[in-house]
Amino acid sequence: MSDSAAPEPAEVTLAEAFGKLSGALRRRRDMGVGALMILPAVVGLAIFQYYPIVVAAIQSLQSFNPFTHEARGFVGLHNYATLLDDPQFRAAALNTVLYIVLTLLVELPAALALAQLIDSRLPARAALRIAVIAGLAASETVAVLVWNQLYDPTHGLFNAVLHAVGIGNQPFLTSSGQALASIVLMSSWKNLGLLVLIFLAGLQNVPAELEEAAKLDGAGGLRRYWHVTLPALRRYIAVGLFVSTIAGSRIFTPIILMTQGGPKESTTNLTYYTYQQAFQYSSYGVAAASTVCMLILLAVVTLIQGFVLRERPA
Amino acid sequence: MRRLGRRAVTGAAVLTLAVLFGFPLIWMVLSAFKSTHSIVADAYPLSWKSIVPSHATTSNFGRLFGQLGFGRTLVNTAIAAAGQIGGSLVVCTLAGYAFARVRFPLRTAAFALCMLGAFIPIEATVVPLYRVVDSLGLVSTYAVLFLPFVCNPFGIFLMRQSFRDLPDEIFDAAAVDGAGIRALFLRIGLPNVRPALATLVLIQFIWSWSNYFWPLIAMQNPSRQVAQVAMASLQTDANNQPMYGEMFAAATIVTVPLVLLSIGLQRYYVRGMLSAGLK
Repeated sequence: MSDSAAPEPAEVTLAEAFGKLSGALRRRRDMGVGALMILPAVVGLAIFQYYPIVVAAIQSLQSFNPFTHEARGFVGLHNYATLLDDPQFRAAALNTVLYIVLTLLVELPAALALAQLIDSRLPARAALRIAVIAGLAASETVAVLVWNQLYDPTHGLFNAVLHAVGIGNQPFLTSSGQALASIVLMSSWKNLGLLVLIFLAGLQNVPAELEEAAKLDGAGGLRRYWHVTLPALRRYIAVGLFVSTIAGSRIFTPIILMTQGGPKESTTNLTYYTYQQAFQYSSYGVAAASTVCMLILLAVVTLIQGFVLRERPA
Repeated sequence: MRRLGRRAVTGAAVLTLAVLFGFPLIWMVLSAFKSTHSIVADAYPLSWKSIVPSHATTSNFGRLFGQLGFGRTLVNTAIAAAGQIGGSLVVCTLAGYAFARVRFPLRTAAFALCMLGAFIPIEATVVPLYRVVDSLGLVSTYAVLFLPFVCNPFGIFLMRQSFRDLPDEIFDAAAVDGAGIRALFLRIGLPNVRPALATLVLIQFIWSWSNYFWPLIAMQNPSRQVAQVAMASLQTDANNQPMYGEMFAAATIVTVPLVLLSIGLQRYYVRGMLSAGLK
């Protein structure tokens, strides 16, 4: 029943022959059963995952009554024109890219370093592993609420520490210059664990002989890391890139609970913009158009990464 | 002796790093025993009171479960989690088994279609998804809290992988004895993938427990609201007076079981998270 073709056995016993015959008869019936078994999954995904995309595409071409939420008819690309004219949307689109890029820049190196530490023979590394898993297990909402207190410009602990070491108070979430970076930092702390686990799995697959050989050649720690360890992690880094791209693109909870998109639109993104259009302004047509833009952006980013990181023969 | 000393120093450095990384959670637990006033007044400037409660109190927990009715939201969260776990156990094992061990037309295409969903975070489609469940009359029902997450691409992938990794011989032997597909699935397949089932239950529990965005939108009946949304609303109460003490108490209550579970069941947890990441 496996996909791989097994070599023909030299001798076929009677029982095996009988098994094969009844197997062939059964396989015809299995076809229907197989389709039936995936039916719940397919129906569920169709309704909750793919149909909403169709709905977004259709509704992005319609106008809606803001009070009854009923469609009033098709308006062509009017909603998209509204989007492009809206400086808030342009800020949201730009910030979405910024969130993704900054998330990658913070998460990838930090996760590589932490994974290396946990994979080493250092004492107390188990504590580090537990801390990383604990951060990953806590919910994003909890992380946001706790960091929101730490970031508080007047009574927050971060400023208390900065003040104690002689650095002036920082505005963090309350300044348009620092807010987005502060959100990325908090969000990266929350999501780092997943990347660390992925890279740890990768490090365990780096052949020890490779490292030994490099050591014998007299390659120092950093050079060995750059020329042996990193290339061996290539596939895992590709996965990490995908994972943190999705993480950077989906940021919403920190925005609604920390900054509401401000100050001055500096932290809004496509998810938050879409949410506001739908649930604060009841502009369902514009929200649908914005959803389509978000999906296109995700598809483009994913395709670019897939292309750049495609498996190449060494 | 010098070696031992160096080991102690690096050990202390690694331990410090671990404590720093885990600090937000440690501080959360400590702050759950502070009054809101102390949280606002004692953190700045830096002193021992910034971190450790100067007058430890459990009154946050009392108010949380008393007048704030947080217990009810925990029950709601448990209902949502039970629905998501139960539903995905059925859906993901059936589909995973069929994709791994049953031949049927368009199998590869159907599998690809299921996996495509993994690239679309719910945040991207939340508005049209809301429109869909609204037209189905599901808004504010308990079912809306878990139905969209039951057909989970990661769950299907995890189960397919586990069924595929089982040796063919045990299935062939049972098939020769005349076992039908139903018997193969129930009596050979399922009992042999128990670790994967545990993984699926654990990560669906954690994901469901942590949901915030979707219940915030789709659950408009406060008496059925989940704990994460109720907890976040404590940042400000109706009169715009923050209830930070109660908020940290709620955060501690929703976090500690998750952290203990994922550390205690690390083997399953790590495997589950990796199946979510490594496709």
